[in-house]
Amino acid sequence: MSASTLMGIGTRAMFANYAALQTTGNNIANANTQGYSRQEVQTATAKGLYTGAGFFGQGVNVQTVARSYDRFLTTQAWSTNALAAADSTRQDQLTQLENIFPLGEAGLGQAARQVLDGFVDVANNPQDAAARQVVVTRARELAARFQLAGEQLNTLQIGVSQDMRTDIATVNAMATQVADLNKQISALNGAGHTPNDLLDQRDQLISDISGYINVNTIQADDGSVGLFIGGGMSLVLGATANTLVAAPDPFDPAKTQLALREGGVDRLVPANSIAGGSIAGLMRFQNDDLNTAQNLLGQLAVAIGGAINQQQSLGLDAGQPAAAGAPLFSLGAPRTLAANTNAGDAAFSLSVGDFSQVQASDYELRFDGSNYALTRLSDGQAVAGSPFTPADLATGVQVEGMTLQMTAGTAAAGDRFLLQAVAPAAASMQAVMTDPRGLAAASAVTGTLAINNTGTARVASVGLVDRSAYDPTLSARITFTSDTGDYNVDMLDASNAVVSSGTGTWTAGSPITLNGFSLQLSGVPRSGDVIDVAPTTAPAANNGNATAFVALGSSPFVGSTLSGGNVVPGRTLTDAYAAALSDIGVRVQSAKSAAGISSSIAATAETTRVNKAGVNLDEEAARLIQFQQSYQAAAKMLQVAQAVFDTLLQSTAN
Amino acid sequence: MRISTANTFDASVDSLVRRQSALATSQEQLTTGKRVNRASDDPAAAARAERALAAEFHTDATQRAVNASQNAMTLSESALGDASDLLQQIREAMVAAGNGSYSDSERQGVANKIAGLRQQLLAVANRQDGAGTYLFGGQSADHAPFLDAAGGVSYQGTSGQVDAASGDPLPLTVDGRAAWVSGRTGNGVFTTVPAPANTGQAWVDTGHVTDPSALTGDSYSIVFSVAGGATTYSVLQNGSPTAVSGVPYTSGQAIEFDGISATVTGTPADTDQFDLNPSTADLNIFNALDQAVAALNTPLRTRSQISQANSTYLASVDAAMAQMQTVRSAVGETLNRIDSATGRLDDLRLAAQTDRSNAEGLDMVKAISDFQNKQTGYDAALKSYSLVQKMSLFNYIS
Repeated sequence: MSASTLMGIGTRAMFANYAALQTTGNNIANANTQGYSRQEVQTATAKGLYTGAGFFGQGVNVQTVARSYDRFLTTQAWSTNALAAADSTRQDQLTQLENIFPLGEAGLGQAARQVLDGFVDVANNPQDAAARQVVVTRARELAARFQLAGEQLNTLQIGVSQDMRTDIATVNAMATQVADLNKQISALNGAGHTPNDLLDQRDQLISDISGYINVNTIQADDGSVGLFIGGGMSLVLGATANTLVAAPDPFDPAKTQLALREGGVDRLVPANSIAGGSIAGLMRFQNDDLNTAQNLLGQLAVAIGGAINQQQSLGLDAGQPAAAGAPLFSLGAPRTLAANTNAGDAAFSLSVGDFSQVQASDYELRFDGSNYALTRLSDGQAVAGSPFTPADLATGVQVEGMTLQMTAGTAAAGDRFLLQAVAPAAASMQAVMTDPRGLAAASAVTGTLAINNTGTARVASVGLVDRSAYDPTLSARITFTSDTGDYNVDMLDASNAVVSSGTGTWTAGSPITLNGFSLQLSGVPRSGDVIDVAPTTAPAANNGNATAFVALGSSPFVGSTLSGGNVVPGRTLTDAYAAALSDIGVRVQSAKSAAGISSSIAATAETTRVNKAGVNLDEEAARLIQFQQSYQAAAKMLQVAQAVFDTLLQSTAN
Repeated sequence: MRISTANTFDASVDSLVRRQSALATSQEQLTTGKRVNRASDDPAAAARAERALAAEFHTDATQRAVNASQNAMTLSESALGDASDLLQQIREAMVAAGNGSYSDSERQGVANKIAGLRQQLLAVANRQDGAGTYLFGGQSADHAPFLDAAGGVSYQGTSGQVDAASGDPLPLTVDGRAAWVSGRTGNGVFTTVPAPANTGQAWVDTGHVTDPSALTGDSYSIVFSVAGGATTYSVLQNGSPTAVSGVPYTSGQAIEFDGISATVTGTPADTDQFDLNPSTADLNIFNALDQAVAALNTPLRTRSQISQANSTYLASVDAAMAQMQTVRSAVGETLNRIDSATGRLDDLRLAAQTDRSNAEGLDMVKAISDFQNKQTGYDAALKSYSLVQKMSLFNYIS
């Protein structure tokens, strides 16, 4: 047993403790470094020396520097982080979207109602140019608000596309770095020691990527990590990285979808296969929320614009001579978008036939080789009457307020078309009438009672309901023939000659509909009573149509549906706007709570991970003292060894 | 359990930020006074508030319609009052003209007075509201409803009325035809007219109904026959003889049949005839006055002609006054309805405001207490943060 053994043990102990001190220092230095995992020196006793007196320990060896790491906690932190990022991105976007549907007087619902309520003053005095001007100005304001809202939605869409491009570029850059790190790590794989800092770097990159897009990781034997998105599309495999591409939507180039470029070929990543990351949040917002908002807004624009324009056409304006009212609003035209993958060259025209039946949805038309299936995308249901034969479409089909007709070309099996009946309506809505005299305040027909009528019936309202069925050269004379509502009708021409006659029975509460007009009576007619309905001769004084405009405010004309041939009434415009804003409100509210929950889960997962992997400064302080003392003890050991050696030298010198 | 120091700081900062944003939300609610500032704060309440606000605005608009009707009806009521006064004056003048001692020239004086009053009456009938609308314009209130033309005053409008857009229909104009040219002729049930060919000195009064249940609605004629100094009369119903035949005539004695009674006074000649026709609702007051004026201006009339004319035109004025009174009471009734409509609209507005305030309004007491609660929480978080971040083992190592 040589005297230098103690010296050796002491030196090694000093080295080991110094290494531990150095590592502790490194831990303290990196306490705030993102992604840093706490490192510790792993030591082991040196192999004992066998002597006749048994095994003597040979001191301590530094084995390696290990990092504190838990793979399960780390992957969990990644995936929860991805979800939280998706939710909070969607929430941010939705919060902006919500501003487009403001409450109260700033909202579209009240603006539309104000236009109709403005007709109250026109009705009070149809000759009052100021009251008419108020309505015209309010109509222009309404159109401007719709336009602004539509443009804001488009701006949001542009923002989403830009954000996606930026996010995709960032992910691509990081994926390349991961591939680089994979290469370095697998090169060092045989060295027997783990390259802790490279591993930390790679983990941090993957964590960052997770913030943009959720990735599945698969560890390879060579130490590299494969990154997969969308359930099996490889983003990084070993030392090679594929690139993500912001691809235009197959239907609408203004929208952006995600594609993966692999071997020069772009493959679309289905939006619903990406569970997390801000890209997923953006895509969900774009494909679902923004689309819904656009359709809700468009439906309101089409219904309100359509209702007001139609009512205009049913009345007489204040021109000289009075004519049927011209439209107040012009709306964006419906669009049909063919998928860029279509093999055929079929083209379709789409128009709004009945403004009150349009739904807040896009539609997809798909040709299976023999028939066309039409699907409402808001709920994924086939529309009534679908599938349609090519012959149906060639003559035109009327469905949910739209008229769809094939205009040219032939479709190939599998061809798809996106039909947007209402989505483009709001952004280009305009008030096309600027002349206050153009408002059709007068009813085209006037009802008068004969002077000798004995019943209590009076004209509650009379006005056109169907301009196309109305013959302005005829007037109707309704003569009641019984006290129970039976009547004869004579249609008279300008010289009061009977052109045609008919009979009918009036029941209280139901209108008498003739010659395109509808006559509503209050009170009860008696036999012999006569009511004349003739073209209005004093349109300047008549307010029948203005009153009908006011009544539109409480008429359920938004989003009616057909059920077995019967019209199921929709909503009033106030209700429709309230429903739209509460739809968006619910989305924001649920996105907010989802973001709150997922961010707190992500925070917990991250805390759990860093509690395992992160640095606790108090702990490091304690270790600092611990290793310092050990180092001092080892140094003392050297001193003793030296003293022992000196003693030995002295004794041999004597 | 180990705790990562850096993470502790992050987590504390996070929770501080959260508390701060909760505080900001509370503050926003307090400053706006609203619990619901955007739809996501409470989607259902936001929708309810939206509906309530629309109802409130619509109530305001309806109130404007009601006010317009009230204005029109008040003006019409006063116009009808003026018209009644004028008719009353005309009636007094006519009664005076019946004075048997008046000379033709005195009657002409009365005629001039009536003609003047009739001009005023026409002006009332064509009165405007000051904004271009004719009060009695019916459904054509943009032009004057009564035109004084060569053949008399004619009604130029479309009868009926224009209603304000007030939900419950309230008129903006009065039907001029009903008010001015739809009085019932005669006594309201039948008219008594001497045949133009009469030569005798008899005149008939306006008659009256003695038994409403016996009315037939047919036309009758009382035909006199003078034979041998005896004057008898027969009643024809629609030109056919009736049971009343050959009855001896006494001047001033009522002739009664089928629930009606008319009195012929004076001495009728043979074949003199008085026709009793059902009343119609087309008495044009202006034309009746024109005829009265013309009659009063006619000189050298017989006693019976004067009495006959006086009786007829007084009846016309009475019928016109009655008709005007009917319209006036309808207008008054409308004004009553307007008052109750205004009250109802006030209630509706209050209900809408209450509904809206319930939906989106802030309970101040609760909000202030919440705010203070959050403030206290934030304060405590800040304090504990500053205390905890001071604690480190390094402080004790020297």
